[in-house]
Amino acid sequence: MPSTARTLLRSVVDGQRRHVAASAVLAAGHQIGEALVPVLIGLIIDRAVARDLGWSGLAVGLTALAAVFATLSFSFRHSLRTGERAAFLGAHQLRLRVADRVLSPRGGVRRHTGALVNIATDDAQLLGDVNLAIPRAVAAAVGLVAGGGALLLVSAPLGTIILVATPLLLWAAHRLGLPLERRSHAGQETAARAAGLATDLVAGIRVLKGIGAEAAAARRYRDVSQASARAAVRAAAARSWQDGGMLILTGLLLALIAGVGGVLAADAAITVGDLVAAVGLAQFLVWPLSQFSWINGQLAQGRAAAGRLAELLNTPVAITGEQAAANPPRGRLQIDALRHRSLDGLTLAVGPGEIVAVVAGADDAQALVECLDRTATPTAGAITLDGTPLAALSPEAARSTLLVAAHDGDLFAGDLRSNLDAADNADPAQVTTAAERVGLRDLPDGLDTVVTEQGRSLSGGQRQRAALARALVADPPLLVLHDPTTAVDAVTEADIAAALAAARQDRATLLVTTSPALLAVAGRVHQLRDGRVVAVGEHADLVADADYRAATLT
Amino acid sequence: MTTRDLLPVADAAQTRAAMWALLRPRRALAAGAAITMAVGTGAGLLAAVILGRLVDAALAGQVAIAGPVTALAAIAVVHGVGAATGGVLVARLGESALAQLREQFVERALALPLARIEAAGAGDLTSRVTRDITAVAEAVRYALPTLVRSSLSIGLTLVALAALDWRFLAVALLAAPIQIWTVRRYTRDASPVYAAGRVAVGAQQQQLVDAFGGAATVRAHGLEASRLRLITDRSRAAVDLSLRGIDLLSTFFSRLNLAEFVALAGVLAVGYHLVRADAVTVGVATTAALYLHNLFNPMNAALGLADEVQVARASLARIVGAAHVPGPVPAVTPVASVVPLDVQVAGVDFHYGNGRPALRGIDLWVRAGETVALVGASGAGKSTLAALVAAIRPPTAGAVSVDGDDLATLTPHEARRRVALISQETHVFAGPLRDDLRLARPDADDETLRGALATVGARWPATLPEGLDTVVGEGGHRLTSAQSQQLALARLVLADPPVAVLDEATADAGSAGAAELERAAAKALAGRTAIVVAHRLTQAAAADRVVVLDDGRIVEQGPHAELVAAGGRYARLWSAWSTHRSPTES
Repeated sequence: MPSTARTLLRSVVDGQRRHVAASAVLAAGHQIGEALVPVLIGLIIDRAVARDLGWSGLAVGLTALAAVFATLSFSFRHSLRTGERAAFLGAHQLRLRVADRVLSPRGGVRRHTGALVNIATDDAQLLGDVNLAIPRAVAAAVGLVAGGGALLLVSAPLGTIILVATPLLLWAAHRLGLPLERRSHAGQETAARAAGLATDLVAGIRVLKGIGAEAAAARRYRDVSQASARAAVRAAAARSWQDGGMLILTGLLLALIAGVGGVLAADAAITVGDLVAAVGLAQFLVWPLSQFSWINGQLAQGRAAAGRLAELLNTPVAITGEQAAANPPRGRLQIDALRHRSLDGLTLAVGPGEIVAVVAGADDAQALVECLDRTATPTAGAITLDGTPLAALSPEAARSTLLVAAHDGDLFAGDLRSNLDAADNADPAQVTTAAERVGLRDLPDGLDTVVTEQGRSLSGGQRQRAALARALVADPPLLVLHDPTTAVDAVTEADIAAALAAARQDRATLLVTTSPALLAVAGRVHQLRDGRVVAVGEHADLVADADYRAATLT
Repeated sequence: MTTRDLLPVADAAQTRAAMWALLRPRRALAAGAAITMAVGTGAGLLAAVILGRLVDAALAGQVAIAGPVTALAAIAVVHGVGAATGGVLVARLGESALAQLREQFVERALALPLARIEAAGAGDLTSRVTRDITAVAEAVRYALPTLVRSSLSIGLTLVALAALDWRFLAVALLAAPIQIWTVRRYTRDASPVYAAGRVAVGAQQQQLVDAFGGAATVRAHGLEASRLRLITDRSRAAVDLSLRGIDLLSTFFSRLNLAEFVALAGVLAVGYHLVRADAVTVGVATTAALYLHNLFNPMNAALGLADEVQVARASLARIVGAAHVPGPVPAVTPVASVVPLDVQVAGVDFHYGNGRPALRGIDLWVRAGETVALVGASGAGKSTLAALVAAIRPPTAGAVSVDGDDLATLTPHEARRRVALISQETHVFAGPLRDDLRLARPDADDETLRGALATVGARWPATLPEGLDTVVGEGGHRLTSAQSQQLALARLVLADPPVAVLDEATADAGSAGAAELERAAAKALAGRTAIVVAHRLTQAAAADRVVVLDDGRIVEQGPHAELVAAGGRYARLWSAWSTHRSPTES
């Protein structure tokens, strides 16, 4: 079921409709209460103070005021709570839908992590905030009607003037403010540059210290910081003049109301209380009227976010197969006349108990790995796994038989143990063995070593060895390893090659590598050139060929 | 996890002193801002007085509106212009002080010894640079103007109320205890919730980056369910904390409503009483009521900032604290002499914080101009020895000297004139490629930069869309890891140190790239004393001398050919390596 921006928007509101409705009703109540406060002040001054109805008259007025305050306070509190609930919970649901799509076993989403995270956080929140904008829109409309109605009741001519003049003024303020707003916005972006630079410099602090560039970096930061400060002042100046302009305009409106109201009051066409109420209501009306441009902006942002979310959620899947795996899975891989990108009719086979290696240039190697991990569909040829075409297998079925481990496999936050035992079902002894096999000795707390997000707390070599150990722990019937030791020193690499042969002796293993240490433990090496196999044999025999040496020895 | 030795946090007195040091040179600006804003706000308050007069005139049946209307119009202009000018001056004051604060801080932060940063955990400094600076900047940008404006409004309104009749002021102040109590409770309850909320949002963000960045691995290993569960938990936790914050905020404003009512009802009652007693006119009572009604917004705005101000103050304390770590301020490193110098490592031991010895009894003399390769398994101590020679860490025992000068007795800046290090980290600085290179030599012209790139065999910069102007690093053109490493070597050529330590992961670039990088490194090291951490034995074979490390000790050393002939550990390694490689190469 494809989601369009519109259906997505509707589903967000619909999913939280009780909260949205409650928030709207309460927000309207709050607005009515706020409109009543100046009316009541006017009434109290007029009836009780000016005409002296005695303390009991004052008490009636103050009781009414108390009731209004209690109502508006209650409605405000609960309108805010329910509205924010609708917004946050709506965003939460969207976030989970995004995560579900991005992590779907069927794949297909190929975008930068940062962009995806932005959609799951910022865009989800922007769309969720529509649930906050709707009650506000209702409240502003109700406030406008209530305030405007009260004004007209107080005095038809004065009310008319205010109701015509206020929107005009706001419109004028908006038009006059537009260029200022743009300047302010541009300034804020420049102002944010200093923060970005500081973060970047600290992230590269080891590099800076290595070449003694701390002072040069500090000086560069000073220049950007000064430019940022100037931009921030420009932005603030634009904002200040926008606010100041608004103050002038509302002040002028007040003068107009006072003038007309004063004449009317002196003629006794309205009471003094009416005049006070009219002034208060005119000030009150600025809020609901100014809300409409905010609400409009919020809805536009929500719609744009909905578009981006819908596009992501509708990304076509990469894997459509539905078939189950062989029982038990053996891991027998047969590749026939495979064509994909630079591959031009590749044929090879791997069976249980075999370690087969492929020596290929970067393009061929990448193309082969893409076909096997199913991020790409080959243009021609066949890949079968235990006799079933790989493309026909469901993601779960393929996974139970085949694991493709990339040379830069990602680690996750946790400890080393939780990373190695990714599926959380391995024998602890097996995890320890795998860590030893890949030479993970250089960690302060062994398997309990803390691993931060994306494995950043480890060195490149440690990350690569951890990812390799994880593949060994998973112990799949067929393991495809792409350049598993590129970040490992020669001494450790030799140890790993021997350990790998021991770990995989009964299983099927395909090594895509140019490392001599690894090639030496393969029972059969396929050398690829221009997308096809040009030589097959044992590494020790193939080295005699100058062409092979050039491909593996640098 | 081991407890971290976090960077210091300034106490209240230090923070105040730092604030004062920033404000003192800007006293005139501060005074100007305050006066301008006060004039604007004061004019705004006169509007209610005029309205009150108008009420009195209307009650008396007079129709003299020209005066009041003109006055109101004039007030509007003065109010608006005053507020705008004041806003600009406050921004100038705040932004220039903020810029000075963050520049001092970043300069100090970059000068912190690496060992000190690592003891605190890399996250400590990063969060001070990002979160704390942002918190203070936002406070300066948004909270400060509101606070200044609101405080002036409140102060002047209270004065004006007192001027009408002191009893108005007295009854209006009835709201104060309620407000104080409300703010106290709010800051007490909300601060931890907001702090936890920020942590939870950060954790959610990290979880998303972790899972989305590793989506391929998640699919390969079938971790969808566990990752989704973690994301759900983190997202829900962040949402729950945000909503708890909203609950507290809504209760806070509700309680302030009570304060508003008490003050308003009080002023109305006092007005009634004073009018009856003929102490004031109805117009004055009206003015007082309007003052109070107009006080609601600035009052709530100021009180609503209580939490933000507290957060900013805590951030400021962390910034000031980190800037107080003693140490020399870095000077620009002048380009060093090009004569290679000798390096002497004498009786060096090194223990990491957890007491695990990483190096034991290391003696090594590297002659001027010689290239020494360090060989050993992961964890043998190669990188640690490299860091000691590069003066990144001090040895636990023994000494490292360059040209006879003990590195421990030199300032970081003096040490860096002698030795440079290229570490395994290949950070590309965000911005134009030219800026990245110039970090190593700020005064270099484009010809020099291109020359350095050519020296290390980097042909790709010429093919970039905008050449040296191309924006690289985070958010810009993405360099491959081999290109990033060439860039690091080009920086070394530009820094031109007599001694160079190379601990780069050439192997990261894949076999073909590694060979190219090895050639680039050889060019970059020509004419220098060099210590190279050899990840591949080809690097060792090309060096003048090979030093084999095992478990923190030197177990063998000598020229490649001698070691191979001697038939020891290195010879076994080499034969394992070279039989795989080529029958003709050894």
